[in-house]
Amino acid sequence: MSDTIAFTLNDRPVEATGISPAMTLLDWLRGPARLTGTKEGCAEGDCGACTVVFERLSSSGARICEPVNACLVMMGQVHGCAVRTVEGLRGRDGAPHPVQIALAEGDGTQCGYCTPGIVMSMYAFVAGGEPPEPTLLHDALAGNLCRCTGYRPIVDAMARVAGHAADAAPPPAAGSVTGNAVLMHGATRFDVPATMAGLLALRRDHPDAWLLAGGTDLGLLVSHDRQIPARVVHVARVPELQALVLEHGRLRIGAAVTYARLLPFLEGPLAPFGAMVRRLGSRQIRALGTIGGNIGTASPIGDTLPVLLALDASVRLRSAARGARLVGIDDFFTGYRKTVLAPDEIIEAVDFEVPLHGDIFQVDKVSKRRDQDISTVLGAYLLRVEGGIVRTVRLAFGGMAATPARALRVETALLGQAWTEATIERAAAMLGEDFQPLDDWRGSAAFRLTVAGNLLRRLYMRASRPDLVVEIDQL
Amino acid sequence: MTTALIGQPVSRVDGRQKVTGRATYAAEFEVPGLAHGAIVRSTIAHGRIASINSVAAERAAGVVAVLTHRNAPRLAYRPHKGAPDPDVGERLHMLQDDQVNHQGQPIALVIAETLEQANHAATLVRVSYTSETGTTDIERIEPVLPTQKNDQGQVRPPETRRGDPEGALAAAEVKVDYTYVIPRENHNPVEMHATIAAWDGDRLTLWDKTQWVHNVADEIAAVFGIPAENVRVVSPFVGGAFGSGLRTWPHVTLAALGARVARRPVKVMLSRREMYYGVGYRPHTVQRVALGASRDGRLAALLHDGYQETSTYEEFSEALLNASRFLHSCPNVYTRHRIARMNVHTPTYMRAPGEASGIFALESAIDELAVALGVDPVELRLRNEPEQDEFKRLPFSSRSTRECYRVAAERFGWSRRTAASRSMRDGRWLIGWGMATATYPMNYAPASAMARLLPDGTAEVRSASSDMGPGTWTSMTQVASDILGLPIERVKFTLGDTRLPRAPVHGGSMTMASVGSAVQAACRKAREDALTRGGANDVTEAMRRLGQPVEASVDVQPGDASQRFSMHAFGAVFAEVAVDPDLGETRVRRIVGAYGAGRIVNPKTARSQCIGGMIGGIGMALMEHSVVDGRNGRVPNANFAEYAVPVHADAPSLMDVIFVEEDDPHVNPLGVKGVGEIAIVGVAPAIANAIFHATGKRIRELPITPDKLL
Ligand SMILES: Cc1cc2nc3c(=O)[nH]c(=O)nc-3n(C[C@H](O)[C@H](O)[C@H](O)COP(=O)(O)OP(=O)(O)OC[C@H]3O[C@@H](n4cnc5c(N)ncnc54)[C@H](O)[C@@H]3O)c2cc1C
Ligand code: FES
Ligand code: FES
Repeated sequence: MSDTIAFTLNDRPVEATGISPAMTLLDWLRGPARLTGTKEGCAEGDCGACTVVFERLSSSGARICEPVNACLVMMGQVHGCAVRTVEGLRGRDGAPHPVQIALAEGDGTQCGYCTPGIVMSMYAFVAGGEPPEPTLLHDALAGNLCRCTGYRPIVDAMARVAGHAADAAPPPAAGSVTGNAVLMHGATRFDVPATMAGLLALRRDHPDAWLLAGGTDLGLLVSHDRQIPARVVHVARVPELQALVLEHGRLRIGAAVTYARLLPFLEGPLAPFGAMVRRLGSRQIRALGTIGGNIGTASPIGDTLPVLLALDASVRLRSAARGARLVGIDDFFTGYRKTVLAPDEIIEAVDFEVPLHGDIFQVDKVSKRRDQDISTVLGAYLLRVEGGIVRTVRLAFGGMAATPARALRVETALLGQAWTEATIERAAAMLGEDFQPLDDWRGSAAFRLTVAGNLLRRLYMRASRPDLVVEIDQL
Repeated sequence: MTTALIGQPVSRVDGRQKVTGRATYAAEFEVPGLAHGAIVRSTIAHGRIASINSVAAERAAGVVAVLTHRNAPRLAYRPHKGAPDPDVGERLHMLQDDQVNHQGQPIALVIAETLEQANHAATLVRVSYTSETGTTDIERIEPVLPTQKNDQGQVRPPETRRGDPEGALAAAEVKVDYTYVIPRENHNPVEMHATIAAWDGDRLTLWDKTQWVHNVADEIAAVFGIPAENVRVVSPFVGGAFGSGLRTWPHVTLAALGARVARRPVKVMLSRREMYYGVGYRPHTVQRVALGASRDGRLAALLHDGYQETSTYEEFSEALLNASRFLHSCPNVYTRHRIARMNVHTPTYMRAPGEASGIFALESAIDELAVALGVDPVELRLRNEPEQDEFKRLPFSSRSTRECYRVAAERFGWSRRTAASRSMRDGRWLIGWGMATATYPMNYAPASAMARLLPDGTAEVRSASSDMGPGTWTSMTQVASDILGLPIERVKFTLGDTRLPRAPVHGGSMTMASVGSAVQAACRKAREDALTRGGANDVTEAMRRLGQPVEASVDVQPGDASQRFSMHAFGAVFAEVAVDPDLGETRVRRIVGAYGAGRIVNPKTARSQCIGGMIGGIGMALMEHSVVDGRNGRVPNANFAEYAVPVHADAPSLMDVIFVEEDDPHVNPLGVKGVGEIAIVGVAPAIANAIFHATGKRIRELPITPDKLL
């Protein structure tokens, strides 16, 4: 047991002592560390002013730079990591980094308060060697709000340096922390088990402890609600939870796999899932957030959940007492933010069959704002049409009920029917029987129903007349 | 030797500091012995505090003090009205009584060693209330005329009439008569407000986020009953404000009060949520606009009747109707401005206050008239172009509307527009083109500056202005370098400190005109002095010969130009939208804005201001909305997750800004009109008009969210 959190900060080893492991990295940086270049604009993961970069080596020895929101990360999560803040950014000759120069010269800063966060997002993008394609640039910057500049100069500055920026930083120290870690200070104990057995034992003995994966949901309790947890169990270092395997046409995703790691697997037939995940939160959120966390939160607007419903996924749960059990996703959600997960259980993984070539698989996220926004309605659909007849169909929606849910009546109206516009119209008319959505200031019930109906029509259009559907990104 | 720096696209002089994280904002100053304050806020909108129990909070770890109305020192609260304060009413007095006037009103301050401890202890303060009936539902309030005409009454009279508007409307061949609603919007700068207060005897230093250091000093001096000279306010960098930093808000007083009681420096930083309960907002407005015209498109009648929310303790009002009185030519005009008093905290000026809202209504109505007449919207405006300001009966000092319409329309390709709505498409997307006129007054206020030339050929120039983002540091350095004939690296401009010569409020787009003119005059004087005394015709050489500093301080005052001219910046905004007919999603694809804004000191920073304003306008048009719960005044979306502001992907790929050449010798010595505010004006109506063109749906209530289009 230790009250020392050891990590690498701007290429130097540091030991933070005398602080709660539940303190946020942002509070630590701006407080005890007096590194105020990292800004605070919301403390809720929404603005990106607090963006710092986590660096690590990939298995092949390449440097991986991921932007994260320091306001969502607990210090216990930082233990053993390499962190870079704006103060630790340099160009080759010790001058400012090329992204900094490009932003300053390109007038990508006005009041300057969003600027260090934007600089760090730019740095992560440039260091990752991605090409300056507009969608990638927007994607990389989506998590950084700027209220002053109108964004254009920022995007232009990033386009100029992307692909060829000098980087003087030495490679990050390889993961220096192995084995279980227990961090403790003040009222909080923070466990980082390194084995499944260790995790299950902690879960059994301390069912009330916060089970922490990326912290993009839980971290808000600390940074926003100012709660001080007595006990946190961080699941991310358990190897089984990090598994990501594609075999025999099934994809198994460990619960602690982040969206950032998952994305390369959501290609080919799973591309519509990938396109949606690219609009889940921001890069900063996707570097931390996990699919297990999305399932664990069980929000009616959790974005991956309707997709998992459409894909007929199964959730693998595990406990020390009863070992593993598989629960079909249809049976997993029991009510508003309620699931079948027992107090001593953890989510180990989720897996599903990858759609076959020729299957109709689509995902649509409707939100007020293009990026970084909570879904108003999310639809995910998997259909198999053979000989013009709908042979299998699973249609799932988020934002339409207290849990993510399938539109069972609509499915029935489609199953075995001819795949035509008339059928889709008839089926769409059944939506009102499947759902009585909430009426609130986020969206009226009538609006949600209309949108869901139009999504079904769009599903048909996309599948039958793709030339007629111009996606928003193509505009 | 540099020449003609004014007008050059100089990069920001403080850019390096900002991109390296070395620019220091209010909450970041290192002050030894700092304690942290957390504000406890009321959870009712109107009533009295029946009991407040702070025992548990006082006993919590690290707590230094808990201040409530029961134990807080009585404060002087001498009368003080700064320019941004409403003329009628009185600011809330902090912790002086048990009265609750709005949801989220500060009712206690917890001071502790660390922020975590202060926040935790704040949750332990137990409060009970006696609620009184009040109202926070604007739909249930009968608006009233402001109680009295004030100094500004001549500029902003609540009711004006020329000709016979009602008669002309009744007789008009074509008329439109609709009501437009804009909900409350919050400034939401990315930096939250923060103040650090430190006393030394009866002298106080405040590190504060503000657009006007001197007003903070004056107000806090009045509150504490001490001379204003005793209060020093430091605010070198401001992380955006858009008006939220104009007034001196309650948390500033609380920080100073806390520091006095704790006998050590105290920092109070608002959370994002608190930013919705104590630093003002753009008020909810409801506006009826009725237009009457002849068949050939000449305006015969214009009635604009608007009201906005304000608090029960102050009468805030903004220039909602000003533009309607002079923007288009019309012989019969009626305007009336009323207020709806509610149990909310006082709204304040937000980027282009009044104009942004009023012109949304006016320019939407003009578009509706164009549709009713079957006349092109640009043509309709040209037919009603006034010869002079028909309200003030004064000539315009300059007015480039015609030129703005012409160049913006040309750049936009307006001539290819097909008139009928729903007539343009891209695949399934409905395409719409719309436009609107923009205007914002030229404001020029007294300002002072000091220029000091040094023997080594460098110069220091000072004025207590502020730079919340537009580039004051840069443009002032440019003006000074230009006048002094020194390279820009040799001129150091300083702002944001009450120890510097007094500047007016950094708002109303008046900084360039006022502070710029003062800097220009101070540099001219110093230069002439140096050249005469040094006997050279170049400042560097003169200073080398002189071997000692030369200093000049100058105060500038606006002359009588405002009695002789109507002075405004004008512009035209054109927008293209694509609307998804199935989902109601709107994307702004292009915006072109042309502005006649006098001389442009720095086209780079000015352009940046304008596209920033365009994005602000997109936010206003499509997403920004502080939802107010009519039952209790709570704002359920008081955060950045649910109060949507535009993100990168919302920025149109084409945002074109054109500055029309304008040489206006009347406005001020520099010939500038300012661009900070006009940049947002006209954007929302241009988008709303484009959406009508795309969909055939006229949305008269902002923001235009997908649900309104299905
Ligand atoms: C700015 C922002 C934007 C966001 N945008 C979106 C969005 O667009 N769409 C969306 O769906 N969500 C969004 N979220 C929510 C969040 O990012 C996701 O729900 C994410 O998947 C949570 O994963 P996590 O690892 O961070 O979860 P954590 O916060 O670590 O945990 C979430 C919950 O799951 C439980 N849990 C985690 N792992 C396990 C496990 N192995 N076994 C059992 N229980 C577990 C935790 O105990 C906790 O209750 C956003 C959040 C933020 C802050
Ligand atoms: S402070 Fe806004 S995302 Fe962290
Ligand atoms: S420059 Fe002010 S928020 Fe981006």
